[in-house]
Amino acid sequence: MKTSFHLITGKQGATWRRGVATVLASAAMSLAAPMVAWAQSYTLGTLFPMSGPNAEAGAIYTNAVDLALKHIAQDHWLKGTISVKPTDSLGTPQGGAVGMSRLVNVEKVPYALVGFTGVAKASAPIGDRAQVMMVNGGAVGPDLAKLSKYFWNIIPLANQEVEFLIPWLGEQKIKKIAIIYVDDPLGQGILSELKAGLPGVGSELVSSYSVAPELQQFSPIIARLRNDKPDAIYIASPNITQIAHIIKQVRDGGLNTQIITYGAANFPSISKLPESDGLIFTSQAADWGSDEPTMKRFVDEWRKNYGTEPTTYGLNYYNGALLYGYLVRGLEQAGKPVTGTNLLAELERVGHYALAGGEARFSDSTVTTAMQINRISKGVTEKVK
Amino acid sequence: MLFLQLLASGIQTGILYALTAAGFALIFGATRIFHVAHGATFIIAGYTYYELHQVGVWWPLATLAAFAMAIAFGVFMALYVYRPIQRSEGSFFTVFVAAFGASISVQSLVQYFFGRGSVMVSTPLTMAQETLPGLYLAPILAVSIVVAIIVFTCVHLFLDRRNAGLGLRALSESPGLLESFGLDSKRLTILAFVIGSALVVPAAIFTAVSIGIQPASGHRVMLISLAATIVGGIGSLRGAVLAGLVLGVIENLVITMVDTQWSEAVSFLVLFAFIMFRPNGLFGTAVKK
Repeated sequence: MKTSFHLITGKQGATWRRGVATVLASAAMSLAAPMVAWAQSYTLGTLFPMSGPNAEAGAIYTNAVDLALKHIAQDHWLKGTISVKPTDSLGTPQGGAVGMSRLVNVEKVPYALVGFTGVAKASAPIGDRAQVMMVNGGAVGPDLAKLSKYFWNIIPLANQEVEFLIPWLGEQKIKKIAIIYVDDPLGQGILSELKAGLPGVGSELVSSYSVAPELQQFSPIIARLRNDKPDAIYIASPNITQIAHIIKQVRDGGLNTQIITYGAANFPSISKLPESDGLIFTSQAADWGSDEPTMKRFVDEWRKNYGTEPTTYGLNYYNGALLYGYLVRGLEQAGKPVTGTNLLAELERVGHYALAGGEARFSDSTVTTAMQINRISKGVTEKVK
Repeated sequence: MLFLQLLASGIQTGILYALTAAGFALIFGATRIFHVAHGATFIIAGYTYYELHQVGVWWPLATLAAFAMAIAFGVFMALYVYRPIQRSEGSFFTVFVAAFGASISVQSLVQYFFGRGSVMVSTPLTMAQETLPGLYLAPILAVSIVVAIIVFTCVHLFLDRRNAGLGLRALSESPGLLESFGLDSKRLTILAFVIGSALVVPAAIFTAVSIGIQPASGHRVMLISLAATIVGGIGSLRGAVLAGLVLGVIENLVITMVDTQWSEAVSFLVLFAFIMFRPNGLFGTAVKK
């Protein structure tokens, strides 16, 4: 008869010891699992143009995200850490689709920050299918509203900017507007808003010129504009470089007509251009002198770390990353895994968060923000309205 | 007057195209190397001039530096990229991929060191003045015409009258026979790259001054150079110059007839038309089978 001693030694004993060890290890791991999960790394995907003509935007957006994550870590918001999974969208729809596929299938991010209208529209269906939460802080194409329940905009869209602008045009007695636009959702959206809204304030769209996004030489269009004699020229291009080219060539061509554009004028390559003096542009409201703590911290550290003035786009992506921090914290506290579906549920549950600039209320895939009209004067942006 | 205004713009654009196309055509015509990195030479020259201008270097010195950098890059490509490939009898495709890779590398380096946005050199030369009622011309137009005339005259005289120039023309026709006459085809290849790279410098500077440049500008430069070389006729320098000029003028005049978004596409429609109906180009010669 075998005794327990025989069970402990020999082959049977080895089997028994392995079994006990397995049970003990499983028990230990199940107790440790919550702690391990909280110490885990969370991932945040970014789909920004890191190369090509809009790479300047990608650099600013990335700096904003890095700053936000630094603040989240400094303030010990989370038990885990957030790491960024950057992907280059090239600023094109194709790049956006490929980039989002990578974020979804390879990096498996639950949350992604996206920018540029074409990129957003191409990537949204992919993110939606994978139930990844996407937040846009830079694209302003009108049809980004209600793109997907997982797609949220924390920036006013172009049609909202133009709606805000049109009454001001009436007040300023700017009667004849010409538009240079890229034939994409952004350009088409702005064109249709102007066509619809200008007659209501006694103004009219006298001419419209569609350009390819990569066009750099505008002298033929400027020659035509000179014939049109508009009171103002509106530039609707998603390409920051192109806007700068148009502004310079309009001024070099001897046209002193008022130039107007949308929030892209925030980017330094436009705002610092000598020929941009007098440029009018709409943007979301941002008070860089505000004493609100989160905004002040953002502004002070942006200036210190990056040596430039902050922009509304940087602010939006800073807030986009902060929002992720808030949502992850909520899920950590609830003991729920960080997935796109849970992030969305958490956002819908809470509905408002204190971001830089004040409290932001989220509903219907968008955030309500105030807007303003600005003028560039000697390289400095001044609020006009 | 709109027509005259567009014609003037077209001439200015055409001169830029002619200068870049001439450089590419010279290199390709003499050496049969598909120097896709020609656009990178353009970027290097433009950024060299811009950066030196920004730190206050006197413009002739900045121009000389731009020439030096462009030529250095061209010679580097010839010696350390194309020559090893040719020595190992690499295919045309190998050369193309190597040059394309170099072009992308240069773009990335420029982005890394000088930023990703567009840069422009501010100068009063680009400010248009009303020369005739309704006709606005900037001094840069006259400057670019004068420079183009000087450059092309010098290149023409060199190719026609100097031994090295004759050698370059002979290199394009028969490298083997060249060697038997005691001429060094390798040195002539370097010379082709020196002159071809130098030709792109005035275009790069005028572009930086008039419309600005960015790291990605080289690709369009390359496409236009290629189109002009084919339209002008492979191996014909004057053909490439004329084709560049014609493409620039057409690109500007066409908007009187079609929507502005088609203006750039017209260059390539002209290219396709030539490929279909006159594949030898304006001054190319047919090759007997």
